[in-house]
Amino acid sequence: MDKIFYSDIRSGKSLTYRQLIEDIQNKTTYSPYCKSSDFYVVFQNIIQSLFLEKEIVLLDSDFTDAEVKNLVGEVDITKSEPVALEKQITEDDFLELLNCKTGTWLITLFTSGTTGLPKKVSHTFASIARQVKKSDRHIDDVWGFAYNPTHIAGLQVLFQALVNRNSLIRLFGLDSSEIVNEINSKGITHISATPTFYRLLLPPIGTCPTVKRLTSGGEIFDEHTLQQLASLFPNAKLTNVYASSEAGTLLASKGNEFVIKEDIKDKVCIKENELLIHRSLLGQSTSFNIDGEWYHTGDLIEVSCQDPFTFHFISRKNEMINVGGYKVNPTEVEKYLRECLGVLDASVYAKVNRIMGSVILCDVVRENDRVTEKFIREQLQAKLQEFKIPRVIKFVEQLNVTRTGKILRK
Amino acid sequence: MRKLLLIINTVLENRGKAAVATINESSSLKNDLGLDSLDLAELTVRIEAEYDVDIFEDGIVTTVGEILKKLS
Repeated sequence: MDKIFYSDIRSGKSLTYRQLIEDIQNKTTYSPYCKSSDFYVVFQNIIQSLFLEKEIVLLDSDFTDAEVKNLVGEVDITKSEPVALEKQITEDDFLELLNCKTGTWLITLFTSGTTGLPKKVSHTFASIARQVKKSDRHIDDVWGFAYNPTHIAGLQVLFQALVNRNSLIRLFGLDSSEIVNEINSKGITHISATPTFYRLLLPPIGTCPTVKRLTSGGEIFDEHTLQQLASLFPNAKLTNVYASSEAGTLLASKGNEFVIKEDIKDKVCIKENELLIHRSLLGQSTSFNIDGEWYHTGDLIEVSCQDPFTFHFISRKNEMINVGGYKVNPTEVEKYLRECLGVLDASVYAKVNRIMGSVILCDVVRENDRVTEKFIREQLQAKLQEFKIPRVIKFVEQLNVTRTGKILRK
Repeated sequence: MRKLLLIINTVLENRGKAAVATINESSSLKNDLGLDSLDLAELTVRIEAEYDVDIFEDGIVTTVGEILKKLS
C-alpha cells in the first residue's frame, strides 16, 4: 500500500513515501543550509543529506538576515552543489539504506546560548535518534507533527516516524478546531508537543479517541489541566520528557516524576541540586559549559527517592526564559534592544503566563518620548524571531526600579 | 467593551495584523479576531495591567464574552 509520509492542510500537500523517495531521487543539487517554511522541503533536505552523508545546517524559516549572519557568518546560504545519489532507492530498501548511511552524517541546529547569541549544536544520527524506537508495535502509529521541524523535538518525531514508516500529519500552527479535525479524520495515535500546544486545545471542544500517547516536555501540568486533557484524549497516556537541544531526549517520566534508567545511570549525576549530564550523551559544540566530563544543564531538581533514583524539576539555574517551549536568552534580547534607535538601556525579564509558561517583558530607558513601543518593536522585528520580542515594552526613568515579586527574571 | 477593543487592537497592530472595528460577546479570540498564542499571552498581560485580573487564572478563555465575565 502506498503509505502517506506527510500531510499538511496548510499547504494542501499530501505525499506518500513513494513520492518522497522519488523527490529525493530526482534532486540534482544539494545545499548544506536549509531555511524553508515548507515542512516537506525541510524533511526532504534532511533525508537527502543522510543519503549523501553530508552535513546539514537547519535554520529557522523566520530567522532574520541579521540573525543568520550572526549564526553562520558571511556565507551564501542559497548556494548549492550538483549531486547525484549513488544508486537507485526503492521503497523496500529505503530504510535499510538510510540506516547504513548514518555513520558520518551530522545535523546542525541552533539553540539559544547562555551568554548572548544562539549556539551551534551538531548531532550525529546516534545522538539525535537515541530514544527512537523501531518495532512492529509502532507500524500503525500516526504522528501529529506539532513542532517546528528545525528544532530537536521536531527532528525526533520525524525520525521516529521515518524508521517505522509512519505518517506525519501537520498540527503545528493550526487552530484548535482544525487540530481536532485533523486528529480525528487522519486517526492520529501519537502527539509530541509543548505544554502550550496542549493548553491551547482546552477547554476541550470534542474528543480524540484515536490518540494513545501524548508526550510533553518542560513544565508541569496542574490537576485541572490534566483532567481537561483526559476528557479531550480519553484513551491517551501522558508522558513528560526531559530533552534539550544539547542532549536530545534523555529521560521520560510518568506524571511529574523522573526515574533514571539503568542504561544511563552512570551518565547522570547531581551536584548542588543541579542535573549534570555526561559529555558522551551530548551533541558536538564548542560552547558547552563542560566541567571536566560533565555538562551543567542549569536545571535544578529535587530527589524524591534514592532507589530507584527518582526526582522532579524545581526551576532553572540560569536566566533562560521558556516561552511556549522555546528558550529565550534575555541577554540576547537586551543586546538587540540596546542597538535600537532611541533606546539608551534595557532590561528583559519574564512574567509567568498560563498560556505560554512565560512571556517576555522589558523595561526601556528611552532618549525621548517620541520613541514609541511600536517604533522599537518594528526595529526588533527585523532582527529577532517573533517569540523573542518582548510582548510589552515599558518605559522607565531608570532600570531595576519596577521589578516586583510578580515579575520574575528567572 | 470599548477599552477591551482598544487593548485587542493594540495587540493586533503590534504584530502587523489589521485592527478590528467591532467586537461582540460571541467573538472568538482565535478564530474571529485572529489572535495566536503569543497574542493571547500579550493580551493577558495588558488586561492584567489595566484591570489587575488574570483572565486565564481558572483555565483558557476563548471568547470576548468570557473575558468580560472575568472582568465584571
